[in-house]
Amino acid sequence: MPALEPLVGRRVIGDPDALDAAIWSGRDVVVLRLAPDEAFGIGATAVELDDEHAIDESEAGFVGAVLSTADLADVIARVDWSLPSDPSALAQGKVAGVPAKLLIGDPSLLVTHAAYAGELADRLGWSS
Amino acid sequence: MHTLDCPRCGRRPLDEFTFGGERRPTADWLTDPDERDFDDVWVFENPAGVATERWFHAAGCRRWLTVRRDTSVDRVLEVR
Amino acid sequence: MVVVNPGAVAAFGATEAVASLQPIVWHEPRDSYDVVIVGGGGHGLATAYYLATRHGITNVAVVEADYIASGNTGRNTTIIRANYAIPEAIRFYDHSMKLYEGLEAETGAAIFHRKKGHVWLAHSEMGMRTERARVLMNQAMGVNTELLGPAGVKALVPQIDLTGGGRYPVFGASHHVEAATARHDRVAWAYASGATSRGVHVIQHRPVTGLLRDGPGGRVLGVQTAAGPIHAGIVLSAVGGRVSQLAAMARVRLPVRTHPLHAFVTNDFEQGLAKIVASTELACYVSQTERGQMLIGAEFDSQPSFSRLSSFDALRSYAYKITRLLPFLRSMRILRTWAGLCDISADFSPIMGETGVDGFLITTGWGTWGFKAIPAGGEALAERIATGRTPALIAPFGLDRFRNELAMADQASAGTR
Repeated sequence: MPALEPLVGRRVIGDPDALDAAIWSGRDVVVLRLAPDEAFGIGATAVELDDEHAIDESEAGFVGAVLSTADLADVIARVDWSLPSDPSALAQGKVAGVPAKLLIGDPSLLVTHAAYAGELADRLGWSS
Repeated sequence: MHTLDCPRCGRRPLDEFTFGGERRPTADWLTDPDERDFDDVWVFENPAGVATERWFHAAGCRRWLTVRRDTSVDRVLEVR
Repeated sequence: MVVVNPGAVAAFGATEAVASLQPIVWHEPRDSYDVVIVGGGGHGLATAYYLATRHGITNVAVVEADYIASGNTGRNTTIIRANYAIPEAIRFYDHSMKLYEGLEAETGAAIFHRKKGHVWLAHSEMGMRTERARVLMNQAMGVNTELLGPAGVKALVPQIDLTGGGRYPVFGASHHVEAATARHDRVAWAYASGATSRGVHVIQHRPVTGLLRDGPGGRVLGVQTAAGPIHAGIVLSAVGGRVSQLAAMARVRLPVRTHPLHAFVTNDFEQGLAKIVASTELACYVSQTERGQMLIGAEFDSQPSFSRLSSFDALRSYAYKITRLLPFLRSMRILRTWAGLCDISADFSPIMGETGVDGFLITTGWGTWGFKAIPAGGEALAERIATGRTPALIAPFGLDRFRNELAMADQASAGTR
């Protein structure tokens, strides 16, 4: 059964084009594009981007779980809206009634705010 | 109105959003500055018809949308 | 003059109760009155009734766009209570409760007034703090409200799941002992009958399309309707739902937004639920009607709208919450759903009295607490119209309070959020 573990990284708000071209440092960094002007680099230790006004902060407020193909199917069954047509795009919205983010790919990730971790795990039947 | 079509996230159930209030210019015919301040702070236009509003996609991209909605039938006309 | 046989229009009820309904007398409308009241709901009809009975003023017309009580008077959840959080509101609603208690004796009409008690649940320490403060304030104002722990709640409401389905644990409640319910359409009927039998005119299906003014910014001299103008010494807006539009006709701008509030009834529950059970944190409340149906009201939509259609999303959300508190509801069926239009003021208190325009008074802001206020609101507005003086009971609720930095914040008493 998957577990929602704390995620750490860098969270950056900046110019969309600069974010597109940003260079993230760290091991196995996975970048979640939260909005055109905002990104969360999971596992990132630093980021370089061409925007002197960018806000770049460490971020430790999210939790996430890596999903197997079966887990992913279970999670998608608890989404009552259409997933993005681009399968690699970050989907953000309520999963099982809890605000969450879903990245489908390799790996597939389910992310939510740390404060929602218990509720989301509970509703997905992940609590023991 | 049961869904809003977020330009970033797509069409979503309304419970992902938070209503942020009507957005309106102060009435032209109010000329006294104190009256205009009072109107800005307290008064709602509360139209039975087309309203321009702000909505926050709280469970999604966490960005503000500007929505035109016909309040007389609760139908969304435009989302920006 | 046409006299309607009350037996032909009373849809249900015991025979003696039907017999107790006095007829409404339909008079041929005139084109001028001392007082024109716009809106044939509870507040408008009660004001007309008290003008006639308390002040002998009967040259009065109540002008209704649809049929009487077709708006929120016929769409509310019929709860009568005074467990508010601020002294001015407690005093006002307590007086209204007492008028309700005497209404059957005064009018001779059975309104099915039933004392039940109102159990207001808390699901957190924060919620308990609100209920403790409510109890203390109510007791200080002479209103019988007591604090209950979980065992006390269980004793009054045996069907309750104190764990709230594991999600909404019951920490305790305040119990407002005198709270009651009554049949809403019968209240409107009783006032309409009492007023029209004394000469007041009730004019149905006559939407007001404008206000007659003595020049721009001048006194309001009457109302315009599709069937012609009606002149008036004084105009009272007792409109619910379209009040911002009516006030705008006199360039009166209101701190009011109109939101739909959803409600539904289930099939009969034979076991019986003696109390009115409410939860602010879950934004729902439930009571049992005279017919045995469970009547469930919920929060108003966050966004204003004038649509009276129920939404499946809203019903699903309320059903989810209320079935966790009262699990027996899971096996019940929803029979009817509807929405009423709540005019919510910026401070969650009603607005009564002057508008700043001569000849034009208002009673509004009744979203979520209008039914319980019908007798006191009507009585006070009638006194204001008859004497020209605003009664002390409603003086704190003037529209000018927003301008004078005397807003009366009382959202915690709305029973919803």
